[in-house]
Amino acid sequence: MNARYGMVIDLDRCTGCGSCMVTCAAENNVPALPQATARTGITPMLVRKVSNGQEGSDRRETFIPILCMHCEHDTPCVKVCPQQAVEVDKATGIVMQMPQRCLGCRYCMTACPYHARYFNWWDPAWPAGMEKSLNPGVAVRMRGVVEKCNLCNARLHAAMEKAAAAGKREIDPADYVPACVEACPTGAIHFGNLADANDPVTHEAQSPEAFRLLARLGTEPKVYYKSKDAWVRALGDTSSTRLSEVQHG
Amino acid sequence: MKVTRRDLLAWSAGAAAGLLVTPVPWKILDDVSIWSQNWPWIPQPAHGPIEVKQSFCTLCPNGCGLRVRMAAGWPVGVGGMKTHPATRGALCPLGFGAHQLNWVPQRLRSVQRRGRSSSWNEAQAAFAKACSDGPVVVIDGYPGRAASVVMHDFARKQGGSCRVVATAESRALSPYEGWTGIPASSLGYDLENTATIISFGAPLLDGWGTPGRFTRLWAERAAEIGDPQLRLIQIEPTLSRTAARAWKWIPIREGTEFALAAGLARALLEQKLVPAHGPIPAMTIPESAAQTGISVDAICDLARSIADRLPAMAIAADQNVSVAALNVVLGAVGARGGIVRRSPRSEHDLPADIEISNARAVLIDSSVPWSFVPQTDAETFRFAAWDGAPPKADWLLPAPGFLEELTDIPTAPTSAVETYAVAPALAKPTREVRSPAQFLAALDRDLVSPEKIVHARCAEIFRSHAGTLYGQESTSAAKIPSVEKLEEQLWAGAVWVHEPSTPASLRCELNRWPSIEVSTPHTWGSDWSLPVLPPLASKLYAESDLRQTPPRRKA
Repeated sequence: MNARYGMVIDLDRCTGCGSCMVTCAAENNVPALPQATARTGITPMLVRKVSNGQEGSDRRETFIPILCMHCEHDTPCVKVCPQQAVEVDKATGIVMQMPQRCLGCRYCMTACPYHARYFNWWDPAWPAGMEKSLNPGVAVRMRGVVEKCNLCNARLHAAMEKAAAAGKREIDPADYVPACVEACPTGAIHFGNLADANDPVTHEAQSPEAFRLLARLGTEPKVYYKSKDAWVRALGDTSSTRLSEVQHG
Repeated sequence: MKVTRRDLLAWSAGAAAGLLVTPVPWKILDDVSIWSQNWPWIPQPAHGPIEVKQSFCTLCPNGCGLRVRMAAGWPVGVGGMKTHPATRGALCPLGFGAHQLNWVPQRLRSVQRRGRSSSWNEAQAAFAKACSDGPVVVIDGYPGRAASVVMHDFARKQGGSCRVVATAESRALSPYEGWTGIPASSLGYDLENTATIISFGAPLLDGWGTPGRFTRLWAERAAEIGDPQLRLIQIEPTLSRTAARAWKWIPIREGTEFALAAGLARALLEQKLVPAHGPIPAMTIPESAAQTGISVDAICDLARSIADRLPAMAIAADQNVSVAALNVVLGAVGARGGIVRRSPRSEHDLPADIEISNARAVLIDSSVPWSFVPQTDAETFRFAAWDGAPPKADWLLPAPGFLEELTDIPTAPTSAVETYAVAPALAKPTREVRSPAQFLAALDRDLVSPEKIVHARCAEIFRSHAGTLYGQESTSAAKIPSVEKLEEQLWAGAVWVHEPSTPASLRCELNRWPSIEVSTPHTWGSDWSLPVLPPLASKLYAESDLRQTPPRRKA
């Protein structure tokens, strides 16, 4: 396998319902801790509302889901991790976070220009009995480690096991679809292999309407956005500070 | 050889330095990191056989199709059912976290009488005594189910009645009752065949009706920015989620939707943009412009945009007679792409929000929104799976939670066609719970059980040979060989849909434009019947600032 998994998110189709956020947290066993706040909670997929800055009838708003961008080149979090707890998987292009190696220094959180990494401030806990509702395919992460979107790696492993059981080396693309992609009621999130020239996602990523956040940093993020509105596409040139403001309100 | 203190220190320093070039300290660091992340008290997911089952959401009357992932016999994930003919795999965001609802601390754990712990026997005795003293009124929030029939039959036998708490979508259909003689519960919106939707504040992309039905339709036909196949015009004071994605957003002064509906009707009729179907409103276009804050030219342009792409249909956020009258002018009542009659049913539901004066006991089903409080002096027995505190009834009775009981799924309130499905119980009840039907059966052993009613309905569908069954593949009901096969498919998650070749006739008579009625704004989640949201939804909405949510309780 020599894939480069990525996404194209059509912002003109995103209604900001939040289904992707909820399903992502449910899939990845994120606890709903009451003490968590906008700064301390874990939201591997975070949908934010942004406007064109106008008021009255000229005002326009859009919703922008922010997740790990799975940077391909000079991946900032990989470069700063002293524990080799972060790596770009050569076979898939997914930026992997290994909580077992993570010491919780949070250098990666500081280095990430997208603020798409979250620290586990507390022991994971659920009300009595709710652990029965957890996804058995994903391990619960402990206090003191950093986590982020891993493009539902457990689903990729399940797809690989299925392919191996059938005696195949390659997975069926239909077997590996991240939870957010599956849940989006308007089909705004498109997922695929950017290394495959025939993949529809590769074509979309090359369209003039596609853009990437902070592309000028040269980290080659594999999450693309798409919009017909010029003011939305201008978000790609926004500063890291502005992005932080968007994320933290 | 004599070992000096200096030798010992040199050896220790050398050993320490040497150790650093071995993997030992790094391995220890790594292992400590792993051990400290896996303490025995950290909850672990249940492991066991994994299977995927189909069912339906029962948290609101829209009955969206679910694909439920089960592990060790417990639901561990919820997704949309791709074969569902209306939702086609889409769900509302709350549905995706619904499998955790049964475990939230707000789950009603025991019978309570005015805030104090009691027992099922005491509740049963108190209800039996109230029944012997006078009539019983039953309040239902999800009419049409087999359980509703049981409750209705019990109330009727006791000389009482059954009342219904309607959703905002159903209330928006209520003006047509008087003009057509058809109950609102038999009417629906033919969204699939319309070309223009004029939404007067209806949150069409934010949980309106069967959530997945319109979002899927919008994504397919209306999401294009230029000139989409389906035009969505959102009339609303603020830039809501739906307005942000509409083809056109018309900001309007709050509470003046009635005036714009009248102004639009006047413009459509005066400029002969539509054939005269209904009465001319007394309000002139300049008067409408003055009230709404929209210019005369903009109102006329809007009328032309609507007439340019017919069929068109107006949808109100809640009950609004002026918006309903605009539909009459547009010729949208009883027409393709408009308000259609989906069922031959002709009984009108009694509304629950009028005073209940003649009852000794009021039984409230768990489907009734927690915020609803009946206007009565009678003793109230409220079934609820979750306790919203403060108690809003004399008795709080723990009801089955999410997917904890078998229930049938009748037609959704906004559907244009009749549907029927069965949601089997997938989860074991986590508390000592009883449904209203079980509670009533203990008092009246002659009541027919909901299971028998479901079987009878399946038999009725089989005998009709009408409609299509949407499961793994769609099958005409006429080709199903036996009622057992039909039940087998319905129990496995299929949906029966009655799609008549010619829609039922609907004659609408409106001679005078209705009197002015000030509209009330619709708020997100106001029809959510539960006092709690799925914990992940409330967590993420609070952290993303995406929606206003109630304050979260400490676990």
